[in-house]
Amino acid sequence: MRSGLHKVIGIDRLTDLTYMLRLERNDMSFVPGQCFNLGLPDTAVNREYSSYSGIYDEELQFLIRQVEGGQVSPKFKHLRAGDTVEVDGAYGMFVIDPELIETRKFYFIATGTGIAPFHCFAKSYRNLDYQLIHGTRHGNECYHRQDYEKGRYINCSTADSNSEFHGRVTDYLKANPPPVDAMFYLCGNRNMINEAYDILRSHAISSSQIITEVFF
Amino acid sequence: MKVAISYPPIINDRGQKAMVSQNRNVQFFKTPTYLLPVVHAQAATWLKKLGFEVIWDDGNAQLKTYDKWYQDLVAMAPDVVVFESTTPVMNFYWRTTSQLKKALPNTVFIMTGYHSMRRPEETLEEAPFDIVLRSNHVDFVLSKLIPAIAGDSDWRQNCDIEGLVIREASGKFRSTGHFRQVEPLERSPIIDRDLVAWRNYAFENGNYLQTPGTYATSVVRDCMFGKCTFCRYNGPDLTFSILPVEKSLDEYERLINDYGVKEIFDDSGVWYRGKEAREFAEGIIKRGLHKKGCYFGFNTRFEYLDKDTIELLAKANFRFVLIGLEAADEETLVKLNKGYQLQHVERSLKWMSDAGLHPHLTVMVGYYWQTREQLRQTVDFVKSLMFRGLARTMQVTLCTPLDFTPYHLECISKDVMLTKNYDDFDMSKLIVKTPIPHSEYYDAVKELYGIAFHPKFLLRQVRFLLTFRKRDWQFLFTYGIRAIRRVRNHIFNLTSADAEPKQGTLNPPAGNSLT
Repeated sequence: MRSGLHKVIGIDRLTDLTYMLRLERNDMSFVPGQCFNLGLPDTAVNREYSSYSGIYDEELQFLIRQVEGGQVSPKFKHLRAGDTVEVDGAYGMFVIDPELIETRKFYFIATGTGIAPFHCFAKSYRNLDYQLIHGTRHGNECYHRQDYEKGRYINCSTADSNSEFHGRVTDYLKANPPPVDAMFYLCGNRNMINEAYDILRSHAISSSQIITEVFF
Repeated sequence: MKVAISYPPIINDRGQKAMVSQNRNVQFFKTPTYLLPVVHAQAATWLKKLGFEVIWDDGNAQLKTYDKWYQDLVAMAPDVVVFESTTPVMNFYWRTTSQLKKALPNTVFIMTGYHSMRRPEETLEEAPFDIVLRSNHVDFVLSKLIPAIAGDSDWRQNCDIEGLVIREASGKFRSTGHFRQVEPLERSPIIDRDLVAWRNYAFENGNYLQTPGTYATSVVRDCMFGKCTFCRYNGPDLTFSILPVEKSLDEYERLINDYGVKEIFDDSGVWYRGKEAREFAEGIIKRGLHKKGCYFGFNTRFEYLDKDTIELLAKANFRFVLIGLEAADEETLVKLNKGYQLQHVERSLKWMSDAGLHPHLTVMVGYYWQTREQLRQTVDFVKSLMFRGLARTMQVTLCTPLDFTPYHLECISKDVMLTKNYDDFDMSKLIVKTPIPHSEYYDAVKELYGIAFHPKFLLRQVRFLLTFRKRDWQFLFTYGIRAIRRVRNHIFNLTSADAEPKQGTLNPPAGNSLT
């Protein structure tokens, strides 16, 4: 089944604007990194969200930041357990080639809720050798950092000086040259992706090693 | 350095012209539609800004014969010629370039387009092209590549701009890696309308209710959804980028005030939605552009626009909304990765038609799995929508695997392709094995185009006059006549598809074919 109604298990408020929508999975299958179209029943409007949960999790989870004046995200925030959400999917090719997992290091770069597919990767692939660089404004946006193995998650915060790195992810990349043989996955706002792309290329990292997913 | 961005006239032996530009699905029509190739127009503008002499050489829109176009190009002797192609005219471009290279041995020939970007070596093997772009961001690549060629006589060996396959001096092919997936769209210039002779494209376009019309610089490159299997805007190598609302609004203002444009269409795969769509409509109203007698239009997807946004767009004088309704059965929509549900189609269309927009459906038939029942569902559903006035116009095409899209690759892997000759991929006939005879799909297409002459449809258009909207009166008395002409074109093509083994011979005469 590719589309259907899924019951809400709950809404976990993470910050004032960001929350995790938890839905019953209903045997929905997907490849880590893929997204689903989510909408409220009978509204005829949907939006794409990457799966935040892993493929072995019993529920579907989505990390959502409320868009001011948005048509979908503000309404999801007020859902209660037992309400339903239309789920359609999964779609997309922001995925990992399983054959590379044993041989390559992965370098994930995200801003804000762009961390969602990387959380999914980390929960789905047990043997993944990765480094996650997560750009946030405040330290309270390090959503579920306990889900990542020690040392793999690096928070770059522009407002809080007690994070692993004080500054933007692109500042981090400039200060800490990335491994040139890794596979690089970038997810988040396009300004970050464009700048990070240039930095990676300046380190002679091939464009075929860089995979991007722009938020919109 | 002199750079020609060239679109040769492609005319078959029935006198029909191929519409190629902007990666449209190639179809041959007696009554052509001249589409401005937006990305290449941006490339031309960019190169001109960089100080290069740019020749905007669209033989179709400039109403040249093939021979006249060929002679003119040879006489101009450009240093670089840039072509854009797609599967059904690959053979044509290979033959043409083979001839041209003999006449212009020192000219650098560059091929762009979705077919060659996914099989660059094939084009380098079949014709004496010097470079094939692996990027659909042609403007971004050319803005770096042309200066590199101009500034380095040994560019074949030294050029490392990503996203190219280059023919080296030794004859070997050299790849410079994947192209950059994300580009800040605002870095590419807004189209120089005078450079591309915009009025050549301002009248012969069935999408315009008023003329002169024009295509805006697209606000979205590629597609924000980008997952439909039959679509070119799909693949691990593609993503999307978006133009800031204010920059697009500035262009609309100039087009209306300086050029007197009466209809503007944005041919982005999918136009703005949500916040950006509302900001754009509010910007149009704030600048008073909604009162200038100019209609606006765009492509969208079901379940992307809500009722409030649609009403705001209508208030801003938006009219034409082009929206894909690829089938009326869930199985097909799932297989195509469409990402919308049939249950919401009617409601979305009702919001649009109630607000006074003119939804235009793009329907497809002839998927390799499509059963008689599925085909009938589609025909009946579309007829119902049209008779009830929920959609105002529509087009039906035969789903043709092209340009190595996921659907194309799927057809190859499932061994359902009936031909390997690219000339057969021109959408004039089905080229995949299907569970029912091809004639049934052709009959379905004819039945759907027959809606235009059905009393129920005509009566509905008359009833629309009671809204006393200017656009509805224009629709019936102006657009209607044009639409009937185009319907006849489509039906003529399909009638001929059964009668002729091949679509026709392209100019120049075929000298080689794909093995």
